[in-house]
Amino acid sequence: MSTAYPLPTNISPSTVANTASLLRIVAFGLISAAAIASRLFAVINFESIIHEFDPWFNYRATRVLAAKGFYEFWNWFDPTAWYPLGRVVGGTVYPGLMATSGVIYNFLHYFNLPVDIRNICVLLAPGFSALTAWATYMFTAEMKDPSAGLLAAAFIGIVPGYISRSVAGSYDNEAIAIFLLMFTFYLWIKALKVGSALYGALAAVFYFYMVAAWGGYAFITNMIPVHALVLLLMGRFSGRLYVAYCSWYVIGTLSSMQVPFVGFQPVRTSEHMGALGVFGLLQIVAFASLVRSHVSSKQFQNLLAISVVTMGVLGAGAFVVMTYKGWIAPWTGRFYSLWDTGYAKKYIPIIASVSEHQPTAWPSFFMDLQLLIFLFPAGVVMCFRELRDEHVFVIIYAVVASYFAGVMVRLMLTLTPVVCVSAAVALSTLLDTYVEAREPDAPEERTEANGSNADGKKAKKAGGAVGSQAGTAAAAAASSTISDLVSATRSSAGSPRQKGIWGADARLVIILNAIGMLVFFVFHCTWVTSNAYSSPSVVLASTNPDGSQHIIDDYREAYYWLRMNTPQDAVVMSWWDYGYQIAGMADRVTLVDNNTWNNTHIATVGKAMSSPEEVAYPILRKHDVDYVLVIFGGLLGYSGDDINKFLWMVRIAQGVWPDEIQEPNYFTPQGEYRVDDRASETMRTSLMYKMSYYRFSELYGGGNAVDRVRNQQIPKVGPTLDYLEEAFTTENWIVRIYKVRKEDALGRDLKTANAFAQGKKRKRGKPVSRRRAIV
Amino acid sequence: MLRLWNAISCLLLASAAAASPAYSLSFENTAIVRTVDLGGSLVHVTTTFAVKALKEAASVYTITLPEDEIFNTSWLEVKVKGTHQPLTVTYNGAPVDSKSHNLDVSLEKPLAAGANINLVLETVQTHATWPWPQKAAQDEDQSLKYETSLFVLSPYSTSVQRTKLKSSSPRIISYTTPENVEAFTQENPVTKSGATVTYGPYNNVPSSTNQEFLQEHQQHVVLHYNYDYPVLEILKLKRAAEISHWGANLNIQDDIVLHNAGPELKGQFSRLQHQTQSFYGRGAPHVLPLFTVHLPPGIRNTYYIDQIGNVSTSHLRVAPSVARGLKNTQSSVMELKPRYPIMGGWNYTYTLGWDAPLGDSGSYDSKTGKYIVSVPVMTEVPGAVVNDAEISIILPEGATDVDYVAPFTALSNEISTHVTYLDTVGRPMVTFKYKNLTNKHAKPIYVSYRVPVFAHLRKPLAVSTVLLTLFTFAMVVRRVDLTIHKTPSKKM
Repeated sequence: MSTAYPLPTNISPSTVANTASLLRIVAFGLISAAAIASRLFAVINFESIIHEFDPWFNYRATRVLAAKGFYEFWNWFDPTAWYPLGRVVGGTVYPGLMATSGVIYNFLHYFNLPVDIRNICVLLAPGFSALTAWATYMFTAEMKDPSAGLLAAAFIGIVPGYISRSVAGSYDNEAIAIFLLMFTFYLWIKALKVGSALYGALAAVFYFYMVAAWGGYAFITNMIPVHALVLLLMGRFSGRLYVAYCSWYVIGTLSSMQVPFVGFQPVRTSEHMGALGVFGLLQIVAFASLVRSHVSSKQFQNLLAISVVTMGVLGAGAFVVMTYKGWIAPWTGRFYSLWDTGYAKKYIPIIASVSEHQPTAWPSFFMDLQLLIFLFPAGVVMCFRELRDEHVFVIIYAVVASYFAGVMVRLMLTLTPVVCVSAAVALSTLLDTYVEAREPDAPEERTEANGSNADGKKAKKAGGAVGSQAGTAAAAAASSTISDLVSATRSSAGSPRQKGIWGADARLVIILNAIGMLVFFVFHCTWVTSNAYSSPSVVLASTNPDGSQHIIDDYREAYYWLRMNTPQDAVVMSWWDYGYQIAGMADRVTLVDNNTWNNTHIATVGKAMSSPEEVAYPILRKHDVDYVLVIFGGLLGYSGDDINKFLWMVRIAQGVWPDEIQEPNYFTPQGEYRVDDRASETMRTSLMYKMSYYRFSELYGGGNAVDRVRNQQIPKVGPTLDYLEEAFTTENWIVRIYKVRKEDALGRDLKTANAFAQGKKRKRGKPVSRRRAIV
Repeated sequence: MLRLWNAISCLLLASAAAASPAYSLSFENTAIVRTVDLGGSLVHVTTTFAVKALKEAASVYTITLPEDEIFNTSWLEVKVKGTHQPLTVTYNGAPVDSKSHNLDVSLEKPLAAGANINLVLETVQTHATWPWPQKAAQDEDQSLKYETSLFVLSPYSTSVQRTKLKSSSPRIISYTTPENVEAFTQENPVTKSGATVTYGPYNNVPSSTNQEFLQEHQQHVVLHYNYDYPVLEILKLKRAAEISHWGANLNIQDDIVLHNAGPELKGQFSRLQHQTQSFYGRGAPHVLPLFTVHLPPGIRNTYYIDQIGNVSTSHLRVAPSVARGLKNTQSSVMELKPRYPIMGGWNYTYTLGWDAPLGDSGSYDSKTGKYIVSVPVMTEVPGAVVNDAEISIILPEGATDVDYVAPFTALSNEISTHVTYLDTVGRPMVTFKYKNLTNKHAKPIYVSYRVPVFAHLRKPLAVSTVLLTLFTFAMVVRRVDLTIHKTPSKKM
């Protein structure tokens, strides 16, 4: 047999196997290192700090857990959030993330390693990304072979779509959830392949962990039943499927109900009904096949088939009735917004106002996945070639996740693993084909070419006789390069090949091309990670004239000022985006925060912000508000400020008080959103506008005061405040804090009192009219 | 040496009541000059006594401080003028009803009759001034008041005495004109020239510690003056110094609660006004926008953080490390800029830490086999008083024979165990507690200890034992087969 390049002939198969296993370990170590290292941009460029918004709550909760123990955490009622309502934290969080950090913290401290809880939280996501790479490796190895697994691990390690949610400091549920997702899927595939209750139970345990960690567990809850159902419909029902599914469903559901936030949802809400239905269906099918194996009558089988169908229809009917009767909760708003992208905007502005709930823009697929998005369909097609049970899973996963990723930006995260797996399968097949040293035999031997990889097929057939587990292993081994090398060295044992590549030049071109693409992929990932996903958003970076980095630290300046120089029980009102940060960094009472469970409360804040001072003041006083915090980017050109978010406040307030707040009033008659002297009256008298631009034009002396975000000129005579007073403004004016004045001691309204204090005379109009009335 | 009067004197008041004033007139003061350097939280007072012995072999000179002053005084030192060696001072109780406390100064050698000596008493008073008015707006000046007694007390008669109150700025708003002093001076009892207000000279002041004099002549004078720097108080200083022999490293970390004790901010803070003021270089005197501290040379890994992370607005210039024994002239300069300008009445907390080469501050004495390490009590924050200080020195694991020499007596000190970084038995930790520390207190504490060879090896041994156990366990687990029954093959 001819080879395209010389191969060593004196290596024993065990040496090859050992070397391959060592190389795998080394490669995997390098992949883990790369995965962790690429997530440390944020720590190196900035510092070890918790990012953004939600992580601040998780961090705060973790501190409580670490300081007071699990039971205290479980029963934690937080009176400082959602003032005056408070929040039952223990029952409204997914505690998996905090529990994980708490366990790591206690473990390290048990061995007298005094690692700060903050550093554990910051580095949890990078650490778990290495585990995700491992889980993806295991999953992909089940799909094809270990070399494809390594490719998939490398992809998931550095792909921006996953990094975006798992950089150091991004201490959110997704940080551990993707690992749990992949590992649960791996265990499910393993359980299905082996038909093992042990793996099924393990899958259930990790499913429970996932339920405890992330609301996205519903994805698993529906993916596995769909997979089971599709296998059923494909006529692939087997004892393995029955054992795997039942052990997973029973243990998983029961344990998931132990999480207080989930409670009885698995038996009461529509999202979970699919899993229950498939569980019931499997029982019926299993029963039917049991009966069939004992009864041979044709009529009886028909009868059975009819009864199975009837029971299925009845079950579905019962489900509809129960939903209608209200025993099963109907679909939630967030769920509807998955099917109708316009739904949220119409009915629940609070969901639509979150940027990560917006539909995905096409460029972001390329930005997050780059070359993988092209390889992804190829990989899915590869799955069709063999179409084992696990390949069906990948196909379903790919279809479902692609749809969801198109609907919501944040669901790009669930798509990323399957893209990595498919792309790795595709690329690894390509490399296998072109690295393969043996050349095809003479053309006349190619008589029954019936597949591009006859070798693999043969191996699979051979494996099928032994048993599925051994079969897959054999198939995987047989089609891998390593074993080809082995078989090639024992040249006599090689089977004749019908298809293949001649010569080294063709191989070289393709392989170099593939390597080039991979190199560009790495550069792209590094660039995206460092530029787009590694900003803590709590601190902003700019450059000094001399090129050195300048940190704009206004958020922390304001929060620390609040923490140090206001009473411990001061109530701070702000838009809900900043609730968690205020609670975490300033340690003060907030009205609303990022756990947007009470729409009315948020609308109240929205109303206060969008109303004139006189209307807002009673609202503020009724809620005991001491300070009002607004974000203003006009001086620096920081576009994520409250004036840009203002329309959402208006919309949400309008949803509750349609008579008092109307969105069109905040636009100019021409329909423009303006803040300069053409701004509408409603806009200019609103509390938000006044707080943002209070004394702003004075900063420019007599010059033109320009809002650099909206590029509009601010009127020279700025707004005045009567019911609030400026309490603190940060260095770059990004955060402005106002103190709510107490009622006037003499019982005047504050406007009059202020005018009196400034020595202004009353307007002439008033006394005259009074006199006239007397006359 | 004596210090911490407010603590000690409370303890001693009871016993002192019994003591009788038995001062034989072995001395007379030819002149007393008291100079008060008015500051914010710290007021430096230098009193020079020109003393003439009246009897042979007079060796104990008594200095009397009034009660309100002794509670403010947090540091005190008596020297013979022109020398550097401080004299021994012992507390000698408070005479009944006198509202004053006596300190006995032991002279190095007894004086012959008629011999003269000049004694210099240096004290630092803390919390002796208070802002007046108590609130100031952002564009207003800061003015403080200081109160002291007119006459310097002395059990001996004094030929002439005067008190000079020196302010840092000539803008003195008001000062008390003493009355009823015609017995001592015919001229103006108080004169102001520039930034200095002088009371006296007062001639032929008799022994002033008796009840009669105090009631007839002693009076309080108040000076109201402008002060151009923020009045800073460090409410709490927690210093932890960790000695590591493996890393040849001395890590010092200060946790500081800073408070601006000047006049409280009237109204609210306006950034616009602050920016305008600093743009024109006319920052308000009671605002602290940044300050500078001097750290040891050769430090590494300096960190300036607070409860929510790194404070990015600071600059550090590190001076190169200086070998021990050589004269150290340079220090690293750290410019600290708090997150926000600290207005009157505002608080700020921060943590400042650094690593320094252990060789710069520690040494090994081969004669006794002991290590000696010096750790400064505090790093001076200019013009600030430290109200409460807790200094802990963490020695290497397994250190024995711990001994220490503190530059002044601590309120309390204890040796406890501190467990950190993979410790098995923990490290001895010496903790000192102080109150009202001033810049004069920034002196080193010396700690000496012995570390047996085995103690050095304890940590690597512990770690390798644990790892070996793990490996062995893993080896055993790999080799044990727990399968109940072997399945020859699985059904398809």
